[in-house]
Amino acid sequence: MRKHLRLIGALTVVIALFVTATAEPALARANTAAAKTKTAKLSGSITVSAAASLTEAFTQMGKDFQKKNKGANITFNFAASSALAAQIQGGAPADVFASADGGNLQKVVTTGQVTAAPTDFTANLLTIVVKPGNPKGVKSLADLAKVGVVSLCAAAVPCGKYATQMLTQDGVTIPTDKITLGQDVKATLTAVATGDADAGLVYATDAKSAGKTVAQIKIPASLNILAIYPIAPIAASQNTALAKAWVDYVLSPVGQKGLAKFGFLPVPVT
Amino acid sequence: MVLLAVVAVAFFVLPLVGLVQRAPWSTLWDDLSAPESRDAIRLSLECSLWSTALSIAFGVPLAFVLARQPFLGRSLVRALVVLPMVLPPVVGGVALLYAFSVNHGLVGGWLLDTFGVQLTFSTAGAVLAETFVAMPFLVITVEAGLRSMDRRYEDAAASLGANRWTVFRRVTLPVIAPSLYAGAALAWARALGEFGATITFAGNIRGRTQTLPLAVYLLLESQQGTAIVLSHLLLTVSIVVLMLLRDRWFGAVRES
Repeated sequence: MRKHLRLIGALTVVIALFVTATAEPALARANTAAAKTKTAKLSGSITVSAAASLTEAFTQMGKDFQKKNKGANITFNFAASSALAAQIQGGAPADVFASADGGNLQKVVTTGQVTAAPTDFTANLLTIVVKPGNPKGVKSLADLAKVGVVSLCAAAVPCGKYATQMLTQDGVTIPTDKITLGQDVKATLTAVATGDADAGLVYATDAKSAGKTVAQIKIPASLNILAIYPIAPIAASQNTALAKAWVDYVLSPVGQKGLAKFGFLPVPVT
Repeated sequence: MVLLAVVAVAFFVLPLVGLVQRAPWSTLWDDLSAPESRDAIRLSLECSLWSTALSIAFGVPLAFVLARQPFLGRSLVRALVVLPMVLPPVVGGVALLYAFSVNHGLVGGWLLDTFGVQLTFSTAGAVLAETFVAMPFLVITVEAGLRSMDRRYEDAAASLGANRWTVFRRVTLPVIAPSLYAGAALAWARALGEFGATITFAGNIRGRTQTLPLAVYLLLESQQGTAIVLSHLLLTVSIVVLMLLRDRWFGAVRES
């Protein structure tokens, strides 16, 4: 029994350590949030939930931003926008939401997690990716109906929604038993890059980031769908100043240039 | 002590209660009979049963060799066989990919050229991925059964003139039957729940490789109700397997 007691003691210590360790950042966060109202200097940390297609661009931009704002800490949570919307609705901590489509951001607006109006901050096009050297000789969107396995994003994921919209608009039907569905655009790309999928529909920016692991067959603008990305701060943020600063940075000329470097397009002026 | 135990039990029970209380009872039948669900249920049954059959066909001989044939490197072989039990299934999927992928795999290209077989993105691939993670459960359980059985029955049969195959079929198999059933049930349950290796290796094609866990994962974003109902289905199956294991096959063990 003494052995057991000692074990309980050890367990209690471990649990206590764990609790303090997890509680500390929250405390620090609250403190810095209070301190920030006095000074204009940005500090503390935020979590930015962003569409998987923004992985490379936002990671680089986050580094640049933190270089300029010492003491500010930005953590990214990259996933399918549909998954992020579900997470935010479920109460996952997020300070900013950058979605690859309006619909998923609208979901959290509807449930009251976003109070400020979302702003469109960038745009993207879809493209066909194939194995390097294009062994199946894919030339156009219509060829996707004839090759072997085609990798698309799942229906709820923005890239899947755009792809379905584009295929319908252009009258291309890929047999269901030839479509493998990725849980986000990166998974969809991976199925072609490291898997045996013959072709995939991803964003132009993903094809660019993938480099030599895939080849790209561009889809003419007349047949393509322009994906518009909106961004908004989350109402429950503990660090609204930093959240706003990140949104402003993304919309600023410097941020726009950072996005353009990865192949993102400016939002069309309407 | 009791308090900590209560915390531990709550930790296991709470998620289950959470899942059960979200059950959309009113749309239960519609969700279960939705085309996506029907495809996933049919495919999951098909793949998991095939996987169990393969596990028995290859796993029983393997368990027999491991239990009865002393050879150099036996413990190494056993470790390799058990490895998929502790290996993250996604890693298993990646490993399978670099073995059987047509473009990047060790033997995938050869399989396609020689037999015209492509495992990736095919139902056979899903079965393979499930077997990879499920077979160890059968091998381990059957080997334990073989090791703990009284071998004098086999000796008696042999001394009465039965050949080795007859001894195995008429004496060994009936004696280890409880272990075999338990191992098969564990392997089947594991195959049914396989996610990581399947999605990595076989992809996610509706009706072909989109098994129940994959469907749950994807539907959670678009049709939450259906995802929850399918989760319940898997939960129910797990509970039934557990009850069968305890009452039928592990009953004797519990008594002793």
